[in-house]
Amino acid sequence: MRQIFVLVLIVIGTYASTYAQELYVFTEPASNMPTKSIGVRITNEGMFNNPDFVSRTIPEVMLGFSKNLMMHAQAFLSDMDGKYRLEGGSIYAKYRFLSSDETHSHFRAAAFGRVSTSKRPTYTRDINLEGDNSGIQGGLIFTQLLHKLALSSTLGYAHAFDNSDRQIVGMPQPKNMLSYSLSSGYLVLPVVYKDYNQPNFNVYLELLGKTDPSSGQSYLDIAPAIQMILNSKTRIDLGYRFQATGNMDNRYTKNMYLLRAEFNFFNVLK
Amino acid sequence: MLFFAVNVSAQQISSADLQVTGLTCSMCSKATQKSLETLNFISSVKPDLNKNIFVLTFKKDANISLDLVRKKVQDAGFSVGNLTASFNFNEVKVDDKGQAIVDGNVYRFVNTKSKTLNGTVKASVVDKDFISGPAFKKQAATANSDAYATGTGVINGKKTRIYHLVVS
Repeated sequence: MRQIFVLVLIVIGTYASTYAQELYVFTEPASNMPTKSIGVRITNEGMFNNPDFVSRTIPEVMLGFSKNLMMHAQAFLSDMDGKYRLEGGSIYAKYRFLSSDETHSHFRAAAFGRVSTSKRPTYTRDINLEGDNSGIQGGLIFTQLLHKLALSSTLGYAHAFDNSDRQIVGMPQPKNMLSYSLSSGYLVLPVVYKDYNQPNFNVYLELLGKTDPSSGQSYLDIAPAIQMILNSKTRIDLGYRFQATGNMDNRYTKNMYLLRAEFNFFNVLK
Repeated sequence: MLFFAVNVSAQQISSADLQVTGLTCSMCSKATQKSLETLNFISSVKPDLNKNIFVLTFKKDANISLDLVRKKVQDAGFSVGNLTASFNFNEVKVDDKGQAIVDGNVYRFVNTKSKTLNGTVKASVVDKDFISGPAFKKQAATANSDAYATGTGVINGKKTRIYHLVVS
């Protein structure tokens, strides 16, 4: 595991040394969306492990209340328990409490919180508050742009609510989960900016890890992604996450693709 | 008395070059541009996406607030790295402390005193949040204005916004 971690860090360091982007696909940066703007996302996740292919659709609305406070509201729909149905929702809020901008660098820090509901029973110790579990989560995000290297780190702690009414006998009952990630992004195109209508092309590499403090089980995923930004307001993400190392059984997000479209509307909130 | 003709209707600031820091993508620049365009005293915003500079043109005879320009950049999630404005001065007398009052706006010049300014003068605002944090700290250590730390001071018995400028 250590060798893989070091190797990935070297890869991140090498490829991100030209120009960096922080619109991460699997995590959030410490930066916020603009005040008074609205973002709309539709995300499709496809999972290949359990035992057939299952997929989840996540409509999402994002609101920028002030330069420091933003919120996401999500709904989760999937066919993971048979028929395609609405299985839950989530509210996520992020507060940026530190911002130090320089011409060629910035450092930002934010705190976030999430509350989620899900009708699903649990089949794994993995706690996923984006669809699979009801619970709360809190954490911190640090994003550093240093000359041309942008790194972002997220630390979070999640607590799953008791769901004894739908607990299946013999299945795990996860309680708490520590999550951590390291993300890096790289701007490929355009080489020279001319106007807002030029498409941007970005590539990302993220490391996503979780540890269950009670059982000691953990995993680390590697998640590469590509991203297109059109007309400076429409964003399209395509990513895939796979497990580099880990010993947590029956995970849903182990082999998963993510396809997302995001539309931004600036200055629409009063 | 003709020598003291006051030109109140002259446009004080005609344009400004605004450098924004913290921008990493065209979406960020677009958000900043849209935020700036909500200001009713701005007539146009022309971006240089490679240098992250926005050239602002102000409406004639409009009441221009450089603080609102700064606020709109911060609302978009970014910071002002530099704001250099073109001031149109008509016989503006800078006193021996570097202060000039033009149509009620108070300016303190860091590098000019006991001088009369005429015509177009390019000057950068060096107040807090108009330059980077470390640059502000450096400037504050050498500033000879008691109003520098807060950007406000008492002028004629009233608490007043004081812009600190460096003539370029």
